Amino acid sequence: MLCPMAEVIRAEQLTKSYGRHRGIVDVDFSVEAGEVFGYLGPNGAGKSTTIRLLLDLIRPTSGRLSLFGLDSRRDSVAIRKRLGYLPGDLRLYERMTGRELLDYFGHLRGARGQGEQIAERLDLDLERRIKELSRGNRQKVGIAQAFMHEPDLLVLDEPTSGLDPLVQETFYELVAEATQRGGTVFLSSHVLSEVQHMADRVGLIREGRLDLVDSVENLRAAFTHVEATFAEPPPADAFAGVAGLERVEQDGSVVRFALEGEIDALLKALARFHVKALDVREADLEDVFLARYRGERPDAP
Amino acid sequence: MLRNVALKSLRDIRRGFLWWSLGLAGFVALIVSVWPTVHSNPGLNKLAQDYPEALQAFLAFGGAVDYSSPAGYLGIELFSLMVPLLLLVAAIGTGASSIAGEEERGTLELLLANPVSRTKVVLEKTVALVAELVGLGFVLWLSLWIGALLANMDISAGHLAAATLSAVLLALAYGTIAVLLGAATGKRTVAIGLTAAAAVAAYLVNGLAPLVHGLEVPQKLSPFYHYAVGDPLRNGFSFTHMAVLVAIAVVATALAPWFFSRRDVAT
Repeated sequence: MLCPMAEVIRAEQLTKSYGRHRGIVDVDFSVEAGEVFGYLGPNGAGKSTTIRLLLDLIRPTSGRLSLFGLDSRRDSVAIRKRLGYLPGDLRLYERMTGRELLDYFGHLRGARGQGEQIAERLDLDLERRIKELSRGNRQKVGIAQAFMHEPDLLVLDEPTSGLDPLVQETFYELVAEATQRGGTVFLSSHVLSEVQHMADRVGLIREGRLDLVDSVENLRAAFTHVEATFAEPPPADAFAGVAGLERVEQDGSVVRFALEGEIDALLKALARFHVKALDVREADLEDVFLARYRGERPDAP
Repeated sequence: MLRNVALKSLRDIRRGFLWWSLGLAGFVALIVSVWPTVHSNPGLNKLAQDYPEALQAFLAFGGAVDYSSPAGYLGIELFSLMVPLLLLVAAIGTGASSIAGEEERGTLELLLANPVSRTKVVLEKTVALVAELVGLGFVLWLSLWIGALLANMDISAGHLAAATLSAVLLALAYGTIAVLLGAATGKRTVAIGLTAAAAVAAYLVNGLAPLVHGLEVPQKLSPFYHYAVGDPLRNGFSFTHMAVLVAIAVVATALAPWFFSRRDVAT
């Protein structure tokens, strides 16, 4: 590392309480320049609350939030100059065409930008009125306006919802290009595979509290996914008590294991049987989270 | 038209503006075209002057009920009720939609993600409201002036302008109150309802004051009093009373950003 990276976002004991609704409580995290930070959590966990605080649409009850070293409230306009936002619940000016919307926002940001090129790459027709567009095409308008001025920070809330797989690929390219330019991405999603694909680090928020922040690499390395094919189905309790075993699924003679830590104990247990094939790989984020939160039930509201 | 929030907001109301203009001009044409008949029928004036005092107070605009002069006729038929009513409906509609309309449609979230302060957004929306009302005022004045020429009405363009400007300023006062309430609550129906209720109350207070003891002081607080009391169709511009209406608009416009900047924007 050449120099310590600049913090683009820093939240300290960030709290937002609503009357009856659940907000967020004592959330601490920081996002460094150039990284993609995945913000994960079930619906209603507080993802959108955090994002709306970043945009200064709502105000913290307590705690501190700074972006680019600036105060999220006092310096909001200066912050928003360097920020591109794709809302999760995207509402656009229905009577405008895509081109008019990009034109309007281009004027407000003082930069014409790359909106038209991005629209072209996404195969979006800018001449049509937004009210005539399908959900996927509206999402493309949202992406184009978020990326058009090449912002230093992209705040993306469920960005690929409604996009077909081909367009998703283009979107991933756009994100990759943004980070290559030195841009930072705050990505909120409940789709684990997407976060795994894009993010360097993830934070998991549940019931308004940030449970864990770690790199995707670390999280995946902590867990191993083993699939063994036996000559004959082993007895159901054959692997009970094996150290580190988080989950066992048996499907006839094929057994899948999710394992935390070393694989040694499992290998020795497997060796007692006739194993025809063995597949060992890093776990998906999905496995990690299922293993970590298995059996836990959210508090009843 | 997409250079800033004010121009974009004007662009949004351009179709509505066209219809309001046609409506106002058509209504003026209708009223003016009846003038020759009314003028040649002095009995109508006698009848009107025998009306109960309560009715006269609501009928007349500024001075006494008088069907014999163009100023009296236009006051009764247009400026005592219909012109302020139409302009107020337009102003309160636009004002309430300024912030609360965008907030309810959900577009405010994306607009405020741009580097524009909330103060700037609400002030530019107010500029659009002012422009709309000035435009409607111009259409109203132009139709009155042309109509008066065609119908041989003996009334000056200046006095027509004075009455029109009073009406525009009255509408602006309530329009900016609607902006303020919309900016403070984020709810369009609240803004429309409260502003309309305040306008009706102020209208009644002003109309009933000559008949009811104890309303003399509240009457002075009614914007409708300052709208009409100078009798602009007969006397021309009354800058003191216009200044009161402007002051209401200025105070409402100054308060709107203060409230808007201090609250959470709804999802």
